[in-house]
Amino acid sequence: MRLQSKLTLFSAISKIVVVLLLIALLPPLIHRVAIVNTDKRLNEKKDSVLEIISNQGIGNFVAEGSEGAYGSYNLLKEEFISIEQIPEPIVVDTVENSLRKVENEIVEYRVLSLTFEVDGNYYLLEIGRSIDTIQESINTMQQYALYFLAAVILITVFIDLAFNKILLQPLIVIVRRLKKIGHPSTFTPKTINTTTSDFLYLNNAINDMMGQIQDAFQKEKEFIGNVSHELLTPISILQTRMENLLTDPEMPEHLLVKLVDNQKTLHRLKNIIQALLLISRIENEQYLKNEEVNLTVLANEVAEEIADRAEAKEIKLHLNLEDDWTLPQANYSLLFTMLFNVVSNAIKYNKPNGSITISGAPKGKGYELCVTDTGVGIAQDHLPNIFNRFKRLHGPDNESYGLGLPIVQTVARFHKIKLTVDSTIDVGTTFCFRFSGNS
Amino acid sequence: MHVLVVEDEAGLAAELMHFLKQEHYKCDWACNGEDASERIAVNRYDFILLDLGLPDYDGLDLLQEARETDYEPAVIILTARGELEDRVKGLGLGADDYLAKPFSLLELQARMQAVSRRKFNVKSSVHEFHGFELDSTARTVSYNGQNISLTKKEFDLLHYMLLHKNRIMTRLQLTEHIWGNILEDDYDSNYIDVHIKNLRKKLSAHAPTDWIETVRGVGYRLTL
Repeated sequence: MRLQSKLTLFSAISKIVVVLLLIALLPPLIHRVAIVNTDKRLNEKKDSVLEIISNQGIGNFVAEGSEGAYGSYNLLKEEFISIEQIPEPIVVDTVENSLRKVENEIVEYRVLSLTFEVDGNYYLLEIGRSIDTIQESINTMQQYALYFLAAVILITVFIDLAFNKILLQPLIVIVRRLKKIGHPSTFTPKTINTTTSDFLYLNNAINDMMGQIQDAFQKEKEFIGNVSHELLTPISILQTRMENLLTDPEMPEHLLVKLVDNQKTLHRLKNIIQALLLISRIENEQYLKNEEVNLTVLANEVAEEIADRAEAKEIKLHLNLEDDWTLPQANYSLLFTMLFNVVSNAIKYNKPNGSITISGAPKGKGYELCVTDTGVGIAQDHLPNIFNRFKRLHGPDNESYGLGLPIVQTVARFHKIKLTVDSTIDVGTTFCFRFSGNS
Repeated sequence: MHVLVVEDEAGLAAELMHFLKQEHYKCDWACNGEDASERIAVNRYDFILLDLGLPDYDGLDLLQEARETDYEPAVIILTARGELEDRVKGLGLGADDYLAKPFSLLELQARMQAVSRRKFNVKSSVHEFHGFELDSTARTVSYNGQNISLTKKEFDLLHYMLLHKNRIMTRLQLTEHIWGNILEDDYDSNYIDVHIKNLRKKLSAHAPTDWIETVRGVGYRLTL
């Protein structure tokens, strides 16, 4: 998961947790607020009633001396005020919930009760507000609070998203650049436009390290190139000298056999160096890709060139290529070497009366060419190593130097061909070359 | 035939000269570009074997100089450089052939013969041996006018051995001629034996082939 998504997800989750907490705590809180507000209002009303009484006398409400009472409800029975004369001078000053019967209906009220004395008479004042009304306003408040919270969360999540995106943009750029690197040699160091010091450091570190890797690669390539080239001159001299010795009439026959052995050893040395030189030259892009190569033609020519070897080992060679496929820009002789080496291996490691199939078919937007043999196969744990230089898979019993498959891989990479190998011991091996559609 | 060997490696030049003299060529050696340039101007060579990597001279300039002479020598470029551009340029500038070092002396001789046949208009391309006839232009082999069908490789092998008749040829030399242009992982001499066996079989249907001699532990020789 990308860092940006993770950050956004985290902030969204933390906000949702906060909201859930609020939703859980909100009703008692709002309830409390509503009660306090109601009590405050009841007290205010009480004050104004007492003020009216002290200004205008109690007579406005209750006739003096009589044991009357005053009561007033508003139309929907949401509130009431009552004043009644009480005989005993008990002291009451409370605010509490109580049930009242109003016109045959029991209604729960929040009731403020207060006793007071006017001109030696005692009165009880009660001011009530119906609980339903309070609940209603509680609900309304809760509803609006929820809307508000939801809006706040949505807005902040979007803001986070945008901010993260802007903040992490340099990182995204760095990752995109890294993804583009197929091989260290294709990397070009670039600066990054950011004020975040961590990203600057990361970018510089990557540039530095890739630079070091490139230097190491370059030196290795140059070294192999130079060494191989310098070694070929003395090899030339040795080879021609041995050839002259072979025709020397004074050469005794028993030494002739030794000379042939020397020639073979020298040939091996020459081949190793030429293979390393070939790989190094391909990696240094010293070959051109300026030919159109038709895969059917290529496969047929490889098959023709190698047919006699298959025949000598009594191995059947089948060719089965569907449709024509042409690489617009390729190097024919390198591709020939690549396919030849794979088919040659398929012959070398085949079983008596075995077979080899070179098959090709369009696949997706590209084309896939496979060489399948019925040979001894390669063990699964050896498969990852078969393209390593000087790795000999089939023991010391043959004269392979372990450079055939590295050449195959280098040529494939040079042409951006995807190379896959599948093998089962005692059943056979399949090498597949995948040519992409836009090659 | 008069040959100029332009090669700065004395050891290699010595072996080349030794071989060519054995094959009855008249040889001169130039160890640097200046020397070579003088010799090209003064003498009339049939062949110039030109190493491109000279210490004092661009080998391709020498090629140009050789082209501008009035006697038009055949030029075979020998180079360890192997660089693509040189190769293309070399052939474009009119070299007659190209051999990458290290090369086999037998291969060099075969190329020289092919070039001289082309260059000096040698009409006859037919070799006769023990009643057989090999036409290197038509790429056919026959016995008493009866065509013998050979594969491409069998023909190449027979032709190459004919060019180097009465000389021991190792299996490796034959292998290098037949598959030399392909860089391979190993060397298996058995394939040459199979080809020789098939060749003997096809030819001996017409006449004995005891002239294809096996030299034990070494290789083969055509005795003519």
